[in-house]
Amino acid sequence: MEKIKQNPIVKKLGFNRIILFCILLIMYGVFSAVIQGFAGAARIMSILNYAYFLGFLALGVTFVIATGGIDFSIGPVMFCCALMSGYTLNTFGAPVIVALLMSIAIGLCFGCFNGYLVAYVGIPPFIVSMATMNIAKGLGSVFTKTQSVSWPQANDPSGNGWFRNLVKFNDFPTGLIIFIVAVIILYVVMNNTKAGRYILCLGSNKEAVRLSGVNVRKWQMLAYVICGMMAGIAAIFFVGAYTTVQPGLGDTYNNEAIASCVMGGTSMAGGLASIGGTVIGVLVISLLQEGIMALRMTKEVQMIITGLIVIVFVYADVSARRRKN
Amino acid sequence: MTKKKSIFTQEVIVGIVLVALYFIFRLISSDFGKYTTFLSMMDISYYYVLMAIGVAFPLITGGVDLSIGTGMICYALAGGCLIRFYNVPTGVAILVSILFGVGIGLANGVLISIMGLPPFLATLCTCMITRGLGSVVTGSFAIPWPTAKQDNGWFHSIFKISTANNTKLPLGLLWIILLMLLMQFILAHTKFGRYTISIGSNKEAAMLSGINVKFYHVMVYMVSGLFAGLASIAYAAVIKTVQPGTGAGMELDAIGGAIVGGVSASGGYGTIYGTVLGAYVIIFLKQGLPYIGFNANMQQIITGFVLIGAVAIDIIKRKVIK
Amino acid sequence: MGDVILTMKDISKSFPGVKALDRVNFELRRGEVHALMGENGAGKSTLMKVLTGIYTKDTGIISYEGREITFHNTHEAQEAGVVIVHQELNMVGDLTVAQNIFIGREFKKGFMIDDRKMVQESKKLFDELHIDIDPKAKMSDLTVGKQQMCEIAKAISHKAKVIIFDEPSAALTEKEIEDLFAIIRDLRAQNLGIIYISHRMDEIKVITDRVTVMRDGTYVGTLITSECTKEDIINMMVGRVIYEDPKTHSMVPKDAPVVLKVEHLNAGKMVQDVSFELRKGEILGFSGLMGAGRTETARALFGADPKQSGDIYINGEKVTINSPEDAVKHGIGYLSEDRKRFGIVVQKTITENSTLATMEKYMPGLFINKGAEKAVAEQYIKELDTKTPGADQLVVNLSGGNQQKVVIAKWLVRNCDILIFDEPTRGIDVGAKNEIYKLMNHLASEGKSIIMISSEMTEILRMSDRIVVMCEGKKTGEIPIEEATQEAIMDKATRDIK
Repeated sequence: MEKIKQNPIVKKLGFNRIILFCILLIMYGVFSAVIQGFAGAARIMSILNYAYFLGFLALGVTFVIATGGIDFSIGPVMFCCALMSGYTLNTFGAPVIVALLMSIAIGLCFGCFNGYLVAYVGIPPFIVSMATMNIAKGLGSVFTKTQSVSWPQANDPSGNGWFRNLVKFNDFPTGLIIFIVAVIILYVVMNNTKAGRYILCLGSNKEAVRLSGVNVRKWQMLAYVICGMMAGIAAIFFVGAYTTVQPGLGDTYNNEAIASCVMGGTSMAGGLASIGGTVIGVLVISLLQEGIMALRMTKEVQMIITGLIVIVFVYADVSARRRKN
Repeated sequence: MTKKKSIFTQEVIVGIVLVALYFIFRLISSDFGKYTTFLSMMDISYYYVLMAIGVAFPLITGGVDLSIGTGMICYALAGGCLIRFYNVPTGVAILVSILFGVGIGLANGVLISIMGLPPFLATLCTCMITRGLGSVVTGSFAIPWPTAKQDNGWFHSIFKISTANNTKLPLGLLWIILLMLLMQFILAHTKFGRYTISIGSNKEAAMLSGINVKFYHVMVYMVSGLFAGLASIAYAAVIKTVQPGTGAGMELDAIGGAIVGGVSASGGYGTIYGTVLGAYVIIFLKQGLPYIGFNANMQQIITGFVLIGAVAIDIIKRKVIK
Repeated sequence: MGDVILTMKDISKSFPGVKALDRVNFELRRGEVHALMGENGAGKSTLMKVLTGIYTKDTGIISYEGREITFHNTHEAQEAGVVIVHQELNMVGDLTVAQNIFIGREFKKGFMIDDRKMVQESKKLFDELHIDIDPKAKMSDLTVGKQQMCEIAKAISHKAKVIIFDEPSAALTEKEIEDLFAIIRDLRAQNLGIIYISHRMDEIKVITDRVTVMRDGTYVGTLITSECTKEDIINMMVGRVIYEDPKTHSMVPKDAPVVLKVEHLNAGKMVQDVSFELRKGEILGFSGLMGAGRTETARALFGADPKQSGDIYINGEKVTINSPEDAVKHGIGYLSEDRKRFGIVVQKTITENSTLATMEKYMPGLFINKGAEKAVAEQYIKELDTKTPGADQLVVNLSGGNQQKVVIAKWLVRNCDILIFDEPTRGIDVGAKNEIYKLMNHLASEGKSIIMISSEMTEILRMSDRIVVMCEGKKTGEIPIEEATQEAIMDKATRDIK
């Protein structure tokens, strides 16, 4: 066991991440064996539909957690983006492209708001998240007059349904391509750019980075801005797959997004983040979601299992670090 | 030698704000002043305030308990199930609900204190788990508790009693005040309270002073669970039918109340009376804003800004003193 | 000196991969102050932690008051009368002084804690020790020195028979150290056994009766303080001879240009109207007692803390410095006294730390050129002789001296011309100290200008070309090295203290 852990390739990929990936494969195997017709393109497409929006949320929040902060307003923010832009599209007849850009812009605004309060005013991220969560829910409800919003279908006569091609073009998963591109970009940002380096370092020791002559506030805020923008993008993929959004909801998704990050090896203490790990975490949760649904159980069962998996992984991480010290 | 303390502590300010809110609402809306409005507002307040009192303890240790909202629903469902399907006496069901809460609190405590998980994550997981458990226990069906008129519905009178001439009295308020005094006393004058503050202020120092920090840290989360259990009874008494899958977000209102009431978000400081006052500010906003012509949803936005405002004022105040 | 109260015999303790203690012996008598000395990492703290039950020993025997004994936690040790005054302050800032002193053993009235009795007892305790502190004050409102006094009072209040002081003087002013020594002498007179851990050689000579020296986790020997010299102790500690001769004359040419000029700098209470000049290639020593405002001056100059007023000129040009960002832009680098908190990012690699202040240099486009980054880190590992398996090593795994070198590398990569060294050798063992000194001299000879803040008189006299003395936030003197003596500096450093 120890020998495997010391292997340089294993070390680079991260032992826990390999285990998590194995769990993913085993889960897929078990679901395929137990449920008839689970192994097939249709299911995979369905899993991916869930993975896209959850993935964008989780990738965004990975940056925030890397700074040692937290943002659990992202679920409601995503819904708020989808509601406000969808309402604009349906009620004011705005072109789809405007609605899509608006969604991203709203996400960005929330990100800037959160980031500014955390980095410049100095309010604890936990409290800012709580407040933003309320604000996002309220704003979505007020803007849409508490009506749910349905985005146009693919064959909508208005021709507004083209945006669904971003998620699926005929039977080709275009969303997967976009998602992979986003993962690659964010991976590079996290590991190969100044922004990522500063975000990780300030998550580990903010004061030391500041005294190195770095404008830490700017970079800390950037993490929240990235997170907000990702929530805006996630909103597009959510409605692209699930069409309808209701005001006042969205809480469960931030839990799942944070759970994906943490499973994947991003430390809540800041300074350590793994984009790849987050992606695997997202896939695990999406697969679980699909499998539980296929077994005709409620979403709540999936939550219990997700909760337990997170506890196991965080405990493994915590105890490994404790042994090292 | 010591600095003169300003009398305008966060608690006092919150108290003033609370009174001001009440009079502003009354001035604008004649309905707000009605006794029935007051009664219904009190009804709603009990479970929020109970949760807030409980969660103040983890907050003071520098932790948090996110599982109280979904937990409360879960305990209420479990108790309700026992009455509905197994004809268990109400008293026993109430006891089970409360003990269930203490049990989840114990689980949180063990995860955090003994296994060393970050409080935020550990309770996030138990939040998801309790939410799921509630549905699993009831098979996803909503569970009604006995109504006040039914024989086994006596527990309603814990919170609200009718007098001879059929006016209703919010008895629950009395319990809230008593519990507030009791918990404030425990926080300020017993070992448990003192060590709660010590853990939040400097855990290492507490450990080196020979305090069994792990034990007290677990206790803190058990108290939080206990109060979530108590809240579940208050919830069942007010909201007649308990829906599985709800409850998420309620913990944030309770936590928000504690923070507005001056509990330090980074631990080490807080009072229970402040917590109760803060929780009532949130409830006033929640229940009162619609009376003065605000969209019910505006309330959420305003609550968000109030929360940021309360903490920002504290931060700015500290900067000025420096 | 009385009879033996505590003996530790053949104590060994291993951590995964390290033998922290190897058959160490130690003996303490009643009524003696016994110094425990050794370089950092020699195992002093580990030995004390084994004694007080924080660690469990692998082998060996501890006998206390004639009986063999093993404490399983600090609480048991306290009960038996063995208490430790920790190096880091271990106080709960949000509680009052009295509450802190009796934490873990509160007086009770039924369920209630009897706060009034705790205040009375604290008062009694402070009276005995001649300390003037209000027991009802909130701990976080006290100065560091006062907090330390509370810590000592707390230790004494345990009805202690053995008290361990782990570098108690590190944060104290001279006056407070005198008070501390008075208390220690008092305790010795009461026949208590006292273990005193310190790095300050002068103190050892003043206060202790015997000295036990450790090196690399082993026991080297025990000396009677009055019969040995400082050099004897140092030789035992490092196993080689070290010379700490003062500098006799300035190494800076008379016509060296002024690179930094600070005029009328004001920042809070700790920095009042401070002005000075720094020349090219000069090492300017900042001397003074703890709390004299030296670190505050440096931080205000560097933009780390806000300042009220003052002008800064670099190479004759007036500059605005409002943040560390500005300071670094103007070529100033700051090496903090508290490396772990302010200097390095411990969970990151040497490479990442080395280029932290210079990211732009290693980004030809949008992306970091990791090859170039690693190359420069390796270059400085070689140049500074940093002991590490490689540039990918996490900084947390390095020793104090090597961590300091990583911080130095960070500023050298940035090519800073003005370097502020705040207590450059704090927590660094004697051997590595010399290397840092050599490095500083080398940097100065290359034309870098250095401000060195130091509380060690020997360090000031050995390194500085000129000395600025501060006292209570004001500059009280400026002495060229040719005229500098310990007495002259102390005189100016205590000028304002009544």
